Amino acid sequence: MIAVLQWTTLSVCLALTALRIPSAIRGENRMMLVLFALISLDILLSIEGPYLLIDAWLGNVNVCNLLLRFLLYGTLLLMGIKVAKAFASPGGERAIRGPVGLAVLGATAVLTASFFFSMDTRDSTVGLNDLDPGPAVDIYAALGRFYPGYVAACLVPGMWRSVRRSGPALLRAASATLLLGLGLLIVSQVFPLIPAAFAWLRPLINYSAALASALGLGGIWLSKVIARRASRAVMSTQ
Amino acid sequence: MSLPSKAFQRWLHGIAPNTSTADVCRFSGVKRTTLAQQLVRGKVAETSLVSISRAFDVNPFDALAQFEAYAALRGTPVPPTAAELISQVSTMDLLRAVVERSEPQDGRPPLILADTPHATSVRNWVDAIDGGELRHRVSDATGIAPQNFSAHLTANRLPPELALATSRAAGVGPAGGLVASGLVTESEAGWPPGARREALDRLSEGELALLASERLQARGKTLRRQEQEADHTNRIWENLG
Repeated sequence: MIAVLQWTTLSVCLALTALRIPSAIRGENRMMLVLFALISLDILLSIEGPYLLIDAWLGNVNVCNLLLRFLLYGTLLLMGIKVAKAFASPGGERAIRGPVGLAVLGATAVLTASFFFSMDTRDSTVGLNDLDPGPAVDIYAALGRFYPGYVAACLVPGMWRSVRRSGPALLRAASATLLLGLGLLIVSQVFPLIPAAFAWLRPLINYSAALASALGLGGIWLSKVIARRASRAVMSTQ
Repeated sequence: MSLPSKAFQRWLHGIAPNTSTADVCRFSGVKRTTLAQQLVRGKVAETSLVSISRAFDVNPFDALAQFEAYAALRGTPVPPTAAELISQVSTMDLLRAVVERSEPQDGRPPLILADTPHATSVRNWVDAIDGGELRHRVSDATGIAPQNFSAHLTANRLPPELALATSRAAGVGPAGGLVASGLVTESEAGWPPGARREALDRLSEGELALLASERLQARGKTLRRQEQEADHTNRIWENLG
């Protein structure tokens, strides 16, 4: 079941990345292509098959997982700045790219790396699932959830205000989907409280968050394309 | 509220006894599938009745009055109040009237008022007949939530049943809301020709100026809000689109 969700998410992200290529060639908002490519790469590296393959190239010591963490932080930083700007949330933007936000990012990154290198990480295992359990693995995993949750928490208030305003229906629906994705990133902070019997909830929440965010961003773009087409059609009939 | 199929078909037979439903739709411009669906559901929309009436040269106002739910429209017509008449003058016409009044010029063609309804006719009508707690009284009488009633006013629409309930609650004639919502025209509702113009002329220059400024203020607010919404939308599209 989870495998289906993983590959669906990856296909959606890859499709959205491919769809952005023509507009990026035209020079429109190239950062969005980068963002979609980053999300796709994040998803790719979190799926077992590709993870094991790439980690094997990198020496079989799970460096790929550390790489994934840093890519995720970068993805969230970029997405956070873009979304905060788009939804006119100067407070959110300051909290992400201001001194506090960069300090949070720096501290998370340093701690992530130090915990990683403090562990015996031999033998590739996706999500570090088969490493010896211990506080270091747990803290490392919590750090990986913390920064995305932090960015999401900075964005949610501004987006919530925006979703409740009026506007094109598709844009509002897409914004709400993106908001749902961000909400799930915040929810993922409580993973340690999920009992083992419901462990399947964790990947479900993670991939749903990625899928909802990607679909939300894609939907916002689609609503723009549709609106531009409609206004062009009106212009040409006048 | 809508019209029951049976009563509607009886009425239709009365005005067009030998016409097929297909022809009725063709003459009136009502979509055939729409009317068929309304008949099957047993709820014919008032707008269908109005379109068909007009196609067969029947006064839609009188046609409506034949239905039980619109019994209030029967009998001696209640003339509109001056405030109701003026509420049905568009904001632009009010501004033109201000100019005409304060800078009379020979040779300028006289102001011809635009047909009803205008862009904010529903809200202006409700404001014109509201003695202070009309929204609550309508809400008590019909069970509609006040915010839903307000949403209708903002969208400049008013379902016929709500229009009737509103005029009843305000103690004015039953036609005003139907005119304001555009279901029937002022002449179909029996308002004398030129009544709006005469009501306008009876306003003093000061009253007219104040009224026009109120309307202009409301229009400015609406436009500002629309502009802000558009800015907001464009900002999202610029950054994420």
